[in-house]
Amino acid sequence: MKRITIDPITRLEGHGKIEIFLDENGDVKNTYFQIPELRGFEQFCVGRLAEEMPVITNRICGVCPEAHHLASVKALDKLFGVDPPPAAKKIRELLYSSFYVTDHTTHFYALAGPDFIVGPDAPPSERNILGVIKKVGLDIGRQVIDCRARNHHVIKMLGGRGIHPAAGLPGGWSKPVSEEERREIEDIARKNIAFALFTLKAFDDIVLKNKGYLDLITSDIYLHKTYYMGTVDDKNRVNFYDGMIRVVDPEGNELIKYSPEKYMEHIAEHVEPWTYLKFPYLKKIGWKGFVDGKESGVYTATPLSRLNVSDSMATPKAQEHFERMYETFGCKRIKGRYQPIHHRLATHWARLIELLYAAERMLELAVDPEITSPDVREIPKKIKGVGIGSVEAPRGTLTHHYESDKNGVLKKVNLIVGTTNNYAPITMSIKKAADKLIKSGKVIEEGLLNKIEMAFRLYDPCFSCATHSIPGKMPLIITIKNVDGEVIRTFKRDG
Amino acid sequence: MKTVIIGLGNPILTDDGVGIKVSRMLKDRLNRNIGIDVKEVYAGGIRLMDEMIGYEKVVVIDAMVTGEAAPGTIRQMSLSDAIMTKNIVSTHDTNLPTAIEMGRTLGLQLPAEIKLWGIEAEDTETFGEDLTDKVADAVQPLVEKILEDCKDVIPACRESFRDPSLAKRG
Repeated sequence: MKRITIDPITRLEGHGKIEIFLDENGDVKNTYFQIPELRGFEQFCVGRLAEEMPVITNRICGVCPEAHHLASVKALDKLFGVDPPPAAKKIRELLYSSFYVTDHTTHFYALAGPDFIVGPDAPPSERNILGVIKKVGLDIGRQVIDCRARNHHVIKMLGGRGIHPAAGLPGGWSKPVSEEERREIEDIARKNIAFALFTLKAFDDIVLKNKGYLDLITSDIYLHKTYYMGTVDDKNRVNFYDGMIRVVDPEGNELIKYSPEKYMEHIAEHVEPWTYLKFPYLKKIGWKGFVDGKESGVYTATPLSRLNVSDSMATPKAQEHFERMYETFGCKRIKGRYQPIHHRLATHWARLIELLYAAERMLELAVDPEITSPDVREIPKKIKGVGIGSVEAPRGTLTHHYESDKNGVLKKVNLIVGTTNNYAPITMSIKKAADKLIKSGKVIEEGLLNKIEMAFRLYDPCFSCATHSIPGKMPLIITIKNVDGEVIRTFKRDG
Repeated sequence: MKTVIIGLGNPILTDDGVGIKVSRMLKDRLNRNIGIDVKEVYAGGIRLMDEMIGYEKVVVIDAMVTGEAAPGTIRQMSLSDAIMTKNIVSTHDTNLPTAIEMGRTLGLQLPAEIKLWGIEAEDTETFGEDLTDKVADAVQPLVEKILEDCKDVIPACRESFRDPSLAKRG
């Protein structure tokens, strides 16, 4: 069997690789996406006081600490049996909306953008955020930096600390928002809306109006029909902070809708001998392997998935763009909801619609009269012993599950992080991309690296917390080995 | 010269946090008033670049996993060196050299001098607050090297940070 290995530069990480096995005809038989395991998180936490978790878990990952912080305080609300006052919930969601604006902005301009704005076939050295800025102009580059800076300022203002917020507590938030802060945040939210609209317009002009790119998005190389998962509010609209978990089948019919606390009744984890990371799947359907379709328990939890499970967006401008995207793909409405989009590159579009929603939601919260209420904490008075909390992390549903003794000392900790949900779909997308690029032993060398990378980049994967840092964008080596395991070809690209 | 020392890494991932440990010790040793800022950062790429804006000199300390050096080996490198340390790449945006070049292109005030110190790690995959032995042994020597390296920044304060007892009094 021939073996092709795509290896992140070993001197950087030492692990994490894509291996492609060919059959006797030289076609792709299997692909393996392996990730090293981070060990001992549960042991690290057990024996600590549960209330330490929001500041511990936000250290798991340097990419989305805000998501961990909030999933953690929500789990603690349950563990201590407290319901935070409305203002506290709104402050949490306000911080989270601001975080979404910076996170989705960064993904588009630094990771997704290069493929479309600079071009999928451009030299790798130009296919980065610098290449994007050179193409679209310095002014837009400055806007991206300004957008990040002003939202990091909001996160620091509300969260008490930059990058790793610390203000979340069981039962609420550690400090109220002053009127002066509120005014500043309102102004920033308005700027965010303008920036999100501008970004969608740029996506429209540069990507959607380019036939080559549109063909790529709608081609079947990045097409998978799976179940989809996302959090919805009481009107079945997208919500990042709170709600019910809804799962729809590939045709768009609701399979289940459950409270996040019931996740164990609906989600199981499949183990493969070749990787430490587990593959979550839908219990009701069962694990049938890395296959598409209604009979397979594989589900996807991404920005596109969140839109696929929702009847609509909760804000007006995002709703307009939501409708436009589904209409563009020719999706019909069934029972008030559009049929799902299965073309995975549309995830980039969905991410921008979410960017706009986050900005609009931020403004709604900033002008909410309750946001400056001093009543931001309900003091916990008891310990229930079990707490499960979830939020939608930018890259998928994030669940924290803690169990403690009667003194609040942790006995059990389990996390299902955003990216883990998508481990099976990512594996399937890599295989499909490899299938198209390798036929009868002939490897289409041109763009192999990038086309395969594009397959997993669209998921915005972050394994910093699932395990450890695997590339969204980082140096890669592809090694092609012959039947005897000898290296016959090496491709190399520096990040 | 406005200087910042950045300890990079995850403080709860065994040797991954060695940069943080070094920066904490430096913070203890450096007199607060001598004008060198010390930061802890667990983010690469653009977020790391953000932390450098407005400084003229930056010293970054990070774990490295080359597999070629013994754990605890200290290496000093420049941004353009082929060997990169572990956390300067963000999986979510770009690598540090690209982020710096972008920042400069956009006219941000970024340090002319960026120095990277890497310490070869033994274990960056197990959650824990303590370093492995050989890596822990490298902390103190690296602190001394960096202090020596920074002495030109504020010559007047040289004595205070060479002698820990003086620094504490400050």
